[in-house]
Amino acid sequence: MSKPPRQLKLGAFFSTPGNHLAGWRHPDAVPEVDMDFREYVRLAQTAERGCFDMIFFQDTVAVAGSRAMARGQRNLARLNRIVKLEPTALITALSTVTTHIGLVATATATFNEPYNIARRFLSMDHISGGRIGWNLVTSQIEDEGGNFGFDDHVDHALRYERAIEFYEVVAGLWDSWEDDAFLHDKATGIYYDTDKLHFLRHKGRFFDVRGPLNVSRSPQGRPVVAQAGSSETGRELAARTADVVFTAQTELADARDFYADVKGRTARYGRSPDAVKIMPGITPVIGRTQSEAREKYDFLQSMLPDDLALEALTRLSGGLDLRQFPLDGPLPDLPPTNSAKARQQLLIDLARRENLTLRQVARHASAANGHRVLVGTAEWIADEMQEWLVKDAADGFNIICNYYPGPFDDFTNLVVPELQRRGIFRTRYEGKTLRDSLGLEVPRNRYAR
Amino acid sequence: MKPQLHFGAFLYTPGTHSAGWRHPDAEPRTDMHFPYYVEMTRTAERGKLDTIFLQDTAAIGGSGGLDGGSPYRPSQGRQVHLEPVSLIAALAAVTSHIGLISTATTTYNEPYNIARRFATIDHISGGRAGWNLVTSQVEDEAGNFGLDRHVDHAKRYARAIEFYDVVAGLWDSWEADAFLRDKASGIWFDFDKMHFLHHRGEHFSVRGPLNVSRTPQGRPVVAQAGSSDIGRDLAARSADLVFTAQVTVAEGRSFSTDLRDRAERYGRGRDDIKILPGLMPIVGRTDAEARERFEQLQGLIDDSLAMRALARLTGELDITQFPIDGPLPPLPPSNAAKARQQLIVELARKENLTIRQVARYLGTAQGHRVLHGSAKTIADSMEEWLIAGACDGFNLLFPWFPGPLNDFVDLVVPELQRRGIFRTEYEGRTLRENLGVPVPVNRYVT
Repeated sequence: MSKPPRQLKLGAFFSTPGNHLAGWRHPDAVPEVDMDFREYVRLAQTAERGCFDMIFFQDTVAVAGSRAMARGQRNLARLNRIVKLEPTALITALSTVTTHIGLVATATATFNEPYNIARRFLSMDHISGGRIGWNLVTSQIEDEGGNFGFDDHVDHALRYERAIEFYEVVAGLWDSWEDDAFLHDKATGIYYDTDKLHFLRHKGRFFDVRGPLNVSRSPQGRPVVAQAGSSETGRELAARTADVVFTAQTELADARDFYADVKGRTARYGRSPDAVKIMPGITPVIGRTQSEAREKYDFLQSMLPDDLALEALTRLSGGLDLRQFPLDGPLPDLPPTNSAKARQQLLIDLARRENLTLRQVARHASAANGHRVLVGTAEWIADEMQEWLVKDAADGFNIICNYYPGPFDDFTNLVVPELQRRGIFRTRYEGKTLRDSLGLEVPRNRYAR
Repeated sequence: MKPQLHFGAFLYTPGTHSAGWRHPDAEPRTDMHFPYYVEMTRTAERGKLDTIFLQDTAAIGGSGGLDGGSPYRPSQGRQVHLEPVSLIAALAAVTSHIGLISTATTTYNEPYNIARRFATIDHISGGRAGWNLVTSQVEDEAGNFGLDRHVDHAKRYARAIEFYDVVAGLWDSWEADAFLRDKASGIWFDFDKMHFLHHRGEHFSVRGPLNVSRTPQGRPVVAQAGSSDIGRDLAARSADLVFTAQVTVAEGRSFSTDLRDRAERYGRGRDDIKILPGLMPIVGRTDAEARERFEQLQGLIDDSLAMRALARLTGELDITQFPIDGPLPPLPPSNAAKARQQLIVELARKENLTIRQVARYLGTAQGHRVLHGSAKTIADSMEEWLIAGACDGFNLLFPWFPGPLNDFVDLVVPELQRRGIFRTEYEGRTLRENLGVPVPVNRYVT
């Protein structure tokens, strides 16, 4: 009997009001999707109908661009990722109007305390019946430091060290209680089995945490952990600790290299390569024909002013003021950036490879935000996704839309059925937890004998 | 119209009574099982209560002692609970009118994060969120945040005051009509309606703006519970709702008058603050039945557990060294709950209580007033307090869940409604409307 073909994992990355800097200006776009809870309910329920493994939210603990705005840059009033519903509160609320879909939110290790994050995500996991994931990041945007007492941003290496220790504390706290610790014995007055409660007693460089956590063990063992760093340190941390790795990959060869590299590192940590699911982002622009799809893309680009695109690129330019360079000249040499190292490198490589002008790089960056843009028919998009799956370039994809809800509805209504028809995507959920959907084992409690 | 009562339902699962969870009908899983919270909140909403209220501690009670070698006392019910800010976010989506107030400490949080989360929940709920501002009182928490000992009382309050200022300032970051989202011009927001906080203080340096827009009720309701002098002052300046522990009408009147006088000095109206003392109602069909229910609960109390609760209020003094059936000795100042300590000292003196009796008293309702009786008896007392100006209503404590909450909603609420001193329908869709407290003006709008 032949094995069923490998199955794709799908995440719905709700980057509201849209990944494309000007997407929200589309006639069909609903820009209020940034702050309107009912719009998120609709999107989450659409994703669940489409059997997505999870929905996902990025996060920034600041108004993006606020540092520049504070210096008087009024033209940034055209940026649109300004306000949002805080993602952990949002996904907790969304867990009450969904039943099977996973819910993953970002929370930074840079401006939080591990005891608080451990409590919050584990509680969310209980509320949702075991469907929660935590995307562990270090804060990468210059604006955030100013809201937490830092005039300049915390340096890259130090941020990662803190994040690694942060993870250790959180994972340790999630094991505070064994699965069957609570007896609730009314007759004897014994609420819990004292042998099944464990103190962490962590003493490290950044944190000193006694524990135990005042939340019982998760319905799925512990929340799923996702990560997105692509640097050397990032890959090593992911191989050791992540269940899901989000990444930005635009070329098949690079994606295969990344996939093999991260999976290859897992053995060092006693983990199976299957224990990590690698999911690059893709932004679909879907048309009934290839040319209709291209028209849709060009229309979006036509709404994007060059100077706004340049502003967005400035965030990756390592502090260099790009306005002093000719728009139709080459991409100037960029100094190293303290924020998104990998994202910057991708752009530099792309510019070099395709001989792009500064204008073109800026416009491309605003359209894609680092991820691969797929412009075509539903069949062609499914072809591309299937190719990456079978060639070990991805275990699945994070779907990011240029505006909402149209393109996301299109993907769910047109591309998902095509994937299902090919037998590479589920038609119903396997189980009730996020680990069930992702095909991940329930981790054992480190203290259980 | 007659003055109206306001109620909070304090969901201190599995029960405020130290032995409540052992009641035959109690559901101990009300601590961690979300569907119970949905059911209880909807019951409270059915009963038209103003709000639910959730306490919080970022530690397991007693963990510091356990780590230091104290014996385990596994009969304490409140060990684990759902992190309450996440919980109210979830409850926001499954309720429509009831307020959702959660505690979040100023001692172990950053103001930007707190401002975001509560503003977000205010949006999700349509204007029903509230933040109970506290300083952490429990020694155990320090050990989870890198400190050997708990931050002392005065320093905690200094941080809390600045914390509040930052949060309130961040909640004004955006004027109500700042967001244009104008497709034609490509302008997302009106730059002049965005405001940077630029706060630089002893504890915090916060530029802002907040990345959440102005909330449906202007900003979340702020509740507080400190009764010390510095606590009252902070409440008078910044709270919409004050939780307190007062056991007699006279004490209630004295506290209310003092707080409202202070509020006026801060330029606020006397009615801008609602004051809710704690009250544990134990309802029976008759007074006798209610007394029986009370005695049944007291019979379940574990004295050694009650003594531990008392020990938390006795500062450096080891209360276990004194004869348990002897009088309460003089107590040194406590770094924990100053006002609560004062309350029990006075009560012990007035009623000649032994240490055992004081401990049991604490183990019943944590120092709050207990009232057992028929619906009529309870309603009589509530009406008396209301008319005497001793309070605006009560924060209702329950010995276990869910039964006593159901009893209150099914038996006492209709009696109060019949007397015309409690609503039959919610006044509005926001917590401010239902509490009858003003919508704050944005400080940047002239």
